[in-house]
Amino acid sequence: MEKNRKINTISAIMLTLSIVVSYITSSIPRTLINETKSSTLLNIIYTTAIVLFIILLFCKLIKKFPGLDLLDISEYLGGNFFKNIVGGLFIFYFISSSSIMLRNFCEGLVVIYYPLTSYIVIIAMFIISLVLVNRLSFNSTINTSAIIFPIVIISIILLFFGNLHNFSFRRMYPILGDGWYNTFVLGLKNIGAFGGICYLYFLPPMLKQPEKLKKIAVISVITTGIFIAICVATLLFMFSFFITADEIMPLFSAARYIEFGAFFQRFESIFLLIWIISFCCYLSITCKFSTHIFAKMLNLSSMKPVLNIFAILIFAISLLPKNYASSIFFETGVYRYLRIAIGFILGMMVLLLANLKKRKVGDNN
Amino acid sequence: MEIKNFLKNIFTYTPQPTYDFSLPDNNTNQTNADVSSKAENTETNQKSQTLYTSLSVNLDYIKSKYNLLINSDIITREFILNVKGKQYKAFLLYIDGMVDSQLLNDFVLQPLMMRNKNNLYDGEQNRVISEAISNNITVRKVKKFNLADYLESCLIPQNNIKQSNSFEDLFSGVNSGNCALFVDTLDIAFDIDIKGFKQRGVEKPENEIVIKGPHEAFAENIRTNTSLLRRFTNNENLVIENIDVGKLTKTKCAVCYMKNIANNDLVAETKYRINNLDIETLLSSGQLEQLISDNNSLGLPKVLSTERPDNAAYHLLDGRIVILVNGSPNALILPAILIDFLTSPEDRNLKTIFSNFLRSLRILASFFALLLPGLYVSVTSFHIEILPTELLYSILSAREGVPFPIIFEILIMEISFEIIREASLRVPSAIGTTIGIVGGLVVGQAAVSAGVVSPILVIIVAITALSSFAIPDYSFSFHLRVFRFLFILLGYMSGFLGIGIGLFVYLSLICDMDSFGVSYSLPYSNMENLKTSGIILPPIWQNEIRAPYLATKNNKKQEKYSMKWKLK
Amino acid sequence: MITISNLLTKLFIIILVIVFVTSFSASYNSLNIDNLAFVIALGIDKSDTNELEVTFEFSAVDPSSEGTLSTKPVFNTVQCSSITNGINMMNAYLDRKVNLSHCKLIVFSEEIAKDGIADEIYSLINETQVRPSSNIVVSKCNSKYYIENSTPTLESLVTKYYQIFPNTSEYTGYTCNATIGDFFNNISSNYSDPYAILGGINNSDNSSNSETVNDSTIKSNETPITGTRKTQNIGLAVFDNDKLVGELNAIETACFLNIEKKIDTFLISIPNPEIVDNKIDIYLTPNTTHKIDVSIVNGAPYVKIKLRFSGKIYSMTRDAQYLDNKILDKISNSCNTYLESQFSNYLYKTSNVFKSDINQFGSYALSEFTTTSEFENYDWQNNYKNSTFDIDIETIIDSGFLLNQT
Repeated sequence: MEKNRKINTISAIMLTLSIVVSYITSSIPRTLINETKSSTLLNIIYTTAIVLFIILLFCKLIKKFPGLDLLDISEYLGGNFFKNIVGGLFIFYFISSSSIMLRNFCEGLVVIYYPLTSYIVIIAMFIISLVLVNRLSFNSTINTSAIIFPIVIISIILLFFGNLHNFSFRRMYPILGDGWYNTFVLGLKNIGAFGGICYLYFLPPMLKQPEKLKKIAVISVITTGIFIAICVATLLFMFSFFITADEIMPLFSAARYIEFGAFFQRFESIFLLIWIISFCCYLSITCKFSTHIFAKMLNLSSMKPVLNIFAILIFAISLLPKNYASSIFFETGVYRYLRIAIGFILGMMVLLLANLKKRKVGDNN
Repeated sequence: MEIKNFLKNIFTYTPQPTYDFSLPDNNTNQTNADVSSKAENTETNQKSQTLYTSLSVNLDYIKSKYNLLINSDIITREFILNVKGKQYKAFLLYIDGMVDSQLLNDFVLQPLMMRNKNNLYDGEQNRVISEAISNNITVRKVKKFNLADYLESCLIPQNNIKQSNSFEDLFSGVNSGNCALFVDTLDIAFDIDIKGFKQRGVEKPENEIVIKGPHEAFAENIRTNTSLLRRFTNNENLVIENIDVGKLTKTKCAVCYMKNIANNDLVAETKYRINNLDIETLLSSGQLEQLISDNNSLGLPKVLSTERPDNAAYHLLDGRIVILVNGSPNALILPAILIDFLTSPEDRNLKTIFSNFLRSLRILASFFALLLPGLYVSVTSFHIEILPTELLYSILSAREGVPFPIIFEILIMEISFEIIREASLRVPSAIGTTIGIVGGLVVGQAAVSAGVVSPILVIIVAITALSSFAIPDYSFSFHLRVFRFLFILLGYMSGFLGIGIGLFVYLSLICDMDSFGVSYSLPYSNMENLKTSGIILPPIWQNEIRAPYLATKNNKKQEKYSMKWKLK
Repeated sequence: MITISNLLTKLFIIILVIVFVTSFSASYNSLNIDNLAFVIALGIDKSDTNELEVTFEFSAVDPSSEGTLSTKPVFNTVQCSSITNGINMMNAYLDRKVNLSHCKLIVFSEEIAKDGIADEIYSLINETQVRPSSNIVVSKCNSKYYIENSTPTLESLVTKYYQIFPNTSEYTGYTCNATIGDFFNNISSNYSDPYAILGGINNSDNSSNSETVNDSTIKSNETPITGTRKTQNIGLAVFDNDKLVGELNAIETACFLNIEKKIDTFLISIPNPEIVDNKIDIYLTPNTTHKIDVSIVNGAPYVKIKLRFSGKIYSMTRDAQYLDNKILDKISNSCNTYLESQFSNYLYKTSNVFKSDINQFGSYALSEFTTTSEFENYDWQNNYKNSTFDIDIETIIDSGFLLNQT
């Protein structure tokens, strides 16, 4: 972050949203539908409300520490060692979840367009773009995502409206899916879909107007909820089989159905082009954030020497799963819980404890 | 040892100094802007300042107003005036390049300074207005000696001369090419018309053609150019500073900016860069452009080059800096960001809908120029399902009998097109038309009928070429021409995946760039306020503020209701 | 030193480009437009030895034509155990790789459809190239024969014909735009059954008894149409799960499309209330206020269908009085009775005879249940045959077209 200009409010919202959007385009909607069947829309409203509550709590808690991010707060709470543990956990979470997503995305690409090319090469292409972009300033990443994000959103909205003629709104029934227990108690796992929100923990020092953090957080959560709902609605209303079947890149298969007259058919590859760019954006944001946390943990004056470590780490981790099945297992079975555990529970615990400590110290004073 | 050093170079980190200059954020400036605009208002109230009787006070006032210490073309000529044997201090104020020196010498300075007959003549005769003799007493009504009238009626042999006691009137006269004469003890000054522009050198612009708008272009002579700028801005706040560049050539460069608008840091940075050029020769503005702008791997221009003085003046008044180089008929405008290269001077003269339409058309054209061949290659090699079936069959039938693979075919066409373009530029104009015929025939007609290339591909190449011609800026379209080949390669390699990744890296590089401290990708990235972002050109009556990224001293361009006639 | 590291980076970039180009070149070769043979229609038959017989229709470009595009169809047939196997064998036979991305039509013969086509559909959907909007046809005749005789009458390109012929359903109601995507969607859900276009050939023998055939009860193979093209696509093939169970004729298809809201206008002939043994043709436009309600009464589905039409009289006779409200009311009533009988016929046929819920009434019933397991326990597909239908049709006949009184 040599050239560190502060992020303005709109860019910050776009930043958090573009992380979430790449979650959405990869596999989140399918996982959600698999989990809660036809009650997913209800479940999303419910989880959005819960996440909104959590994020409001977060804003209230972090208000006591203006201009500090989670690392500073954890340092305040438990010293340097604790700070390093928290930072390390977040880096681990960022890097590993993004690399598993990268692996799944590339497996999808192999199946769809590059049947005779090894997924390693495709992953390597993403990593090379990451290495090239890593040299650039943090601002460049933010600006790029601000340029690309509107296009991605247009693509998702087009997906919804282009498929309107295929929709059968009756498919949202039975309204409770697998029953209220599955929807509202087991369905809490779906909070993981809002994993992108936890990048907010590290935003405050970078903001131009830190007092607008609450606005950023609330708008991000609500729009995330809306976008997830749009995607889930598209899939739910279009296909009867997503409840039982599992398809690579669910939104991609929805894109195949779009047609406007006889001429505009099957332009799913355009969607894929847009999603590839947005996925690159997501990777570079992850990488930048990890580097930023790492540099902050070790008090490095410059991030240059560690720039490419994380890119290579993502490459290595994404090659770990044996096949598509095991990487899907990692995503749906492991990282969903990790997202909740690290993103929501750990972050909020640190904030809560720090607030308690501050209150105690304040009382003593 | 060599190897050790080499390994060391690879594995150890040595921080490299990065040059970083950025304009301050305008957010903090915004609050100041109100204050400064208030100050501006009070200034405007004081503007009708009348002349002082003391010459030195007048001179000081002018010095501060016109920034005489740094302004290179504003000239004050101090001299001693002879009137009836008495001597008065006086000075002339004029702008070099806008007055006719011959006229000034012969008909202003000479009669005033020479002890000629007029000066010796004391004019006693005229002083008696009436003489009446009554009671042998001669009563003479004697006119009081009036220096101003005397000067006007006797000493300045000029047809058009005005007396004025307000600085404002005088300055506007000076700015339009008159010369002002200040005389000690007088609280008026003379506005003497000795306009003499070097009209001869000014010709029509050849490369930036607009339909509506002035048809004047910069010439080679720097004085002519500065006088053009002066005439267009017509404001004493325009500062033109001279800097000599080049140890051997000592080429005159002029840094022009509006003192009350342009950001001080920006001006200082520009002067700093120009002053710190250790080169032997500087012959053209193209060289200076490369010398003062930050390098970038994309080869994108960061300085706008124009041959139109009206365009340069517009940017000056917007808070940018214009650099003129003696010997070059181009002005450099900086900072310039991506969208400036897609904006034509024509846009400002058109109605808003049309100019916005043209601008979006140019953005589209730049996408075509950059991506179309690459997209064609990737669609035909990887994503055939996107083609409508009828189109697929027309491509198939067009490619029937073409011996080359598509990538080879498109490279042949693109390269031969580039050769035709280059050839038609270099060839003497007398045989220039033959190039068109040969190129059109060979590349278009003959290649298709010989079955070497498919007609669809000719269409693709033609659209790409037309798109690149629609870009107003020459150097920007150069960039697109070159990087088109990269996208062809990426598309050939891995279809939309390669193009997507390439676009991402490309966009990131653009977003990383700065032009004199202004983010290059503005206003499309990093928008703060949709209304003032400038993504869509506002109509001219809503053009209330200057671009926020320029961090100008005075942000407000015009009042909220500029068309006051509407409000009765 | 700088030069060496510069050189190394340049070398590295060159190596990288070479590596990428080579590793993508296999995909490039397999997907390049020059190396592909585009299937435009696929026919699947059963061979004598109980294997599959897959017919591929390709389109060869005629290079001699200048300016206008002309193609001539090429047919290849292969006997194989599965479609994938057939494609593989065809790859070996042809000089190019078979690509299904522009396959517009998939034809199954009646014989194979009766045995169930779920496997074929699933493997076709699993193929990335197949477009979900490909139409699916069940042909009364041999599907190879069907494809070979599907020559366009008005278009020069056969793909264009394949593209647009299902769209006629919007104004005739005699066929349906049944796509493989819908088919798959219906086959994989537990509340609906799939359907396909019914294709057939002109039987010149049939034309002898064409007098007895009512114009609206025609279907493929039994039509009085003769023309340059031998094939025809009228009617609908109804599946129960993945097995063909029956056929719908033209008017029944129109009923189906009306309930599905997939029709813009259609034409019916109703008995003239004024003159015995006379018929008038009514041009009907469905209103958007269609309403379908499904509830479960005593364990059996109770389907309430409310349809509203507005119509104009198409046929004109001497002494017509179509400005008289009484006459118009009479015609409307006659129209209502006619339509009600047609709709009940259609619903009876699909629910009781075919036991197939092609109209997805099950999806309307979904809202009656609160959880998925409740719905699964109810077993809609078995209970559908017990359905009771309540049809409420109201037609408003306005006038004739240009003539209202003669």
